[in-house]
Amino acid sequence: MKTELPIERVLAWRVAQAEADAPPAPRAARLLELSRAWWERWPESFERLVTQLGSIRVNYGHAMVAEPRGRGYPVPAIVARTNVEIGSLAEILYFNVASARLRLRFQVQPPLDPAEPQLEVTFIAVDGPRPLFVAPAVLAPSGEYRVDAELPEALARAWAEIKVTDRMPFRFVLREATPP
Amino acid sequence: MGTALRFVWFWTFWHWSKESFRAEMLLRGPLNGVAGNWDEWFHHEACAEEQAAIAEVGGSERAQRDFVQWLLHTWATEAVPGDNSEAPVFVLRELARVAPFDRWSALLDFRTRPASAGICAIVLAEESAGKSTDLRRVDAVVLPVEPSVIGGTIAADDFQVEMADLNASRQAVVTVLSGSGLARLLARWVALGPRAYSRWLAVILNIGWFAVAGLLAYLLFGPEPGSWLPPLSATLVALWITLMFVSAVGLGTQIRAAWQTGKKLAAHLEQDEIRMTMPGQLALKGGSAGFAFSLSVLSAIHRAYPHAAKRSWLWQRFFARLDSSNRSRAATGVITPDGRVRPVLIEPKLRACAEQNDVGEIFAPKQRDASQRKLDQIHTTLRTAEAARNQSSSGVAPSPGYAAESHRPRIHRCQHLADAIAKIGALSSPWQAGMNAAALALSGVMLAALPDLGCILLPPPPPAAVAPSSPSPYFLWVSLDTKRPDFFQVVLESQAWVNRRADVAPRNSTPASVRAEIRLVRATRFNEKPNFEEGTVWIERRPRLLLREYAPTERVGRYSLRYLFRLGYE
Repeated sequence: MKTELPIERVLAWRVAQAEADAPPAPRAARLLELSRAWWERWPESFERLVTQLGSIRVNYGHAMVAEPRGRGYPVPAIVARTNVEIGSLAEILYFNVASARLRLRFQVQPPLDPAEPQLEVTFIAVDGPRPLFVAPAVLAPSGEYRVDAELPEALARAWAEIKVTDRMPFRFVLREATPP
Repeated sequence: MGTALRFVWFWTFWHWSKESFRAEMLLRGPLNGVAGNWDEWFHHEACAEEQAAIAEVGGSERAQRDFVQWLLHTWATEAVPGDNSEAPVFVLRELARVAPFDRWSALLDFRTRPASAGICAIVLAEESAGKSTDLRRVDAVVLPVEPSVIGGTIAADDFQVEMADLNASRQAVVTVLSGSGLARLLARWVALGPRAYSRWLAVILNIGWFAVAGLLAYLLFGPEPGSWLPPLSATLVALWITLMFVSAVGLGTQIRAAWQTGKKLAAHLEQDEIRMTMPGQLALKGGSAGFAFSLSVLSAIHRAYPHAAKRSWLWQRFFARLDSSNRSRAATGVITPDGRVRPVLIEPKLRACAEQNDVGEIFAPKQRDASQRKLDQIHTTLRTAEAARNQSSSGVAPSPGYAAESHRPRIHRCQHLADAIAKIGALSSPWQAGMNAAALALSGVMLAALPDLGCILLPPPPPAAVAPSSPSPYFLWVSLDTKRPDFFQVVLESQAWVNRRADVAPRNSTPASVRAEIRLVRATRFNEKPNFEEGTVWIERRPRLLLREYAPTERVGRYSLRYLFRLGYE
């Protein structure tokens, strides 16, 4: 048996094998479907989550004797995982809008168990059940999620003056990140 | 390259962190949120040169160690407010969790080393009847806060708890450092606790108290001291006063130092922030972890400000023992803001402690079912069951473990946080308690005897005989102008009358006076005509100590009978 083969032939054989094993390319209609935001694909699910989000009340009593440690206002959040949706709160730790980019860090309270290394964060407006945009959030070793996303121009202008200690004009729907 | 320049990137991060916090972009202060802040800066703000400089330091273990030393000694001095020793260690521990420090071998110790000696809260998991996993280590850290932030707060980092419970734990510590709790601790220490004297001074003082007891016993019950009475009395008084003075100065100094130290530490608690951590990401229901939180906060405040306690022997002793134990401690009990420890459901918690071999001491509320006997019963039951399991699985009888008793945890029942401090600091000594009781009793006797001793050392002036004389021919009254009649006696010496001695005492029968009353009895010799006015009355000193009367000493007055019969009539 001939044991010596040119490397080009080996590579060509490997590519041919990989093509044979690969799933068929999605059709155009499927690609269009995938490019749509999740709330357009599953409007009922979105409506349910937003209703649930609206039921999370964060009431502040102003009888406190000392300023609370965090100073900021927690953001209501729904953690939507497979077969379970949990109402939660997200503490915003860092908020910076510059050059139409949002850099944000938040911590889910209580922490997710088990922690998700990556989440898909949907920003929902507080003044109506309308999705603003969606961005990935990565878990940092310090237990916080960080978001680095480009903002629509209108939002970038509106949010430029927001401080981390202000009430946030959004709520979160946190979903398990879909694999690319 | 100079050290300052090698690590300038850390200053850049630090100032970014401070400015971002000031501009309200960061929620947590530079110290408080150092891990998250660093993560943000490192990934999004650090420029290529800074990234390269960080990578260069991370490239060699020696440079990493230099960075650790620089951060602990140089950076901390300039950046950490309020001389907080724990803050730079906290920073390193936090940084060790995030990139790129999580790969630095020089920070391995900070990644793995626990923050404190270890106080465990006994927090039962749902439906647990008491397992070793229910013992959860509680760590606290005291951090200074930025000037713009109000301090005096306490927060749980990775578990949920009622804020009222956390605040009660913090307030209890403040109380025991500078309030009624400290008064309770000091009172207990004064009554039962060992003293801060050096060994030789303690021996001398103990010998001194024994000498006081011996002298008192000799003077009260021994043979007639005669002319030794004044020097022995002087020695007794001088010795007692010296011992009281040394004890009072020693106690006063320690109480003052403890009070000042406690006040200083409490002031730090009022200004700083306390962060509590407990593994398990639990949502606590009930306040039985409060006692453990308080002990953990006490440990944390000392780690943060170790120099503050240096002046107080009492606090130094407690903190040294709190941090040095090689076996962990567990605590359970609801704590109130004034430091009292309230009862809890105890049996499953004792079982959890008995299952965990590392627990050396358990601090529990003073309640009926929290006893050493109960704990020993549970311990024995568990070990018997364990031995039976081993035997059935191996088929071989287990060999007896003769050291098993030493592993039994000891339970300390506490009514107050101050009681736990006294137990941990070994602030009770049976020997000292006995000595204190003896010293107290001796001092009581000495106080009662002081007037008598004073009269022995500084005798009252000799009294003069004054009116009134006896209105009856059958009695001789010798009235004396003295305020200490019990230190004198009167002696009648006469040929015509039977010689007599009589005590001098205040007499209330009319006319009232301080006098000796002698019943006159004719002598039986009639060979010559008696002269009933012939005779002498002597006034003698007669020292006494409490119930003991000594033999008369000197004669301080002499009067003829004739004079005394006529006194007040002529």
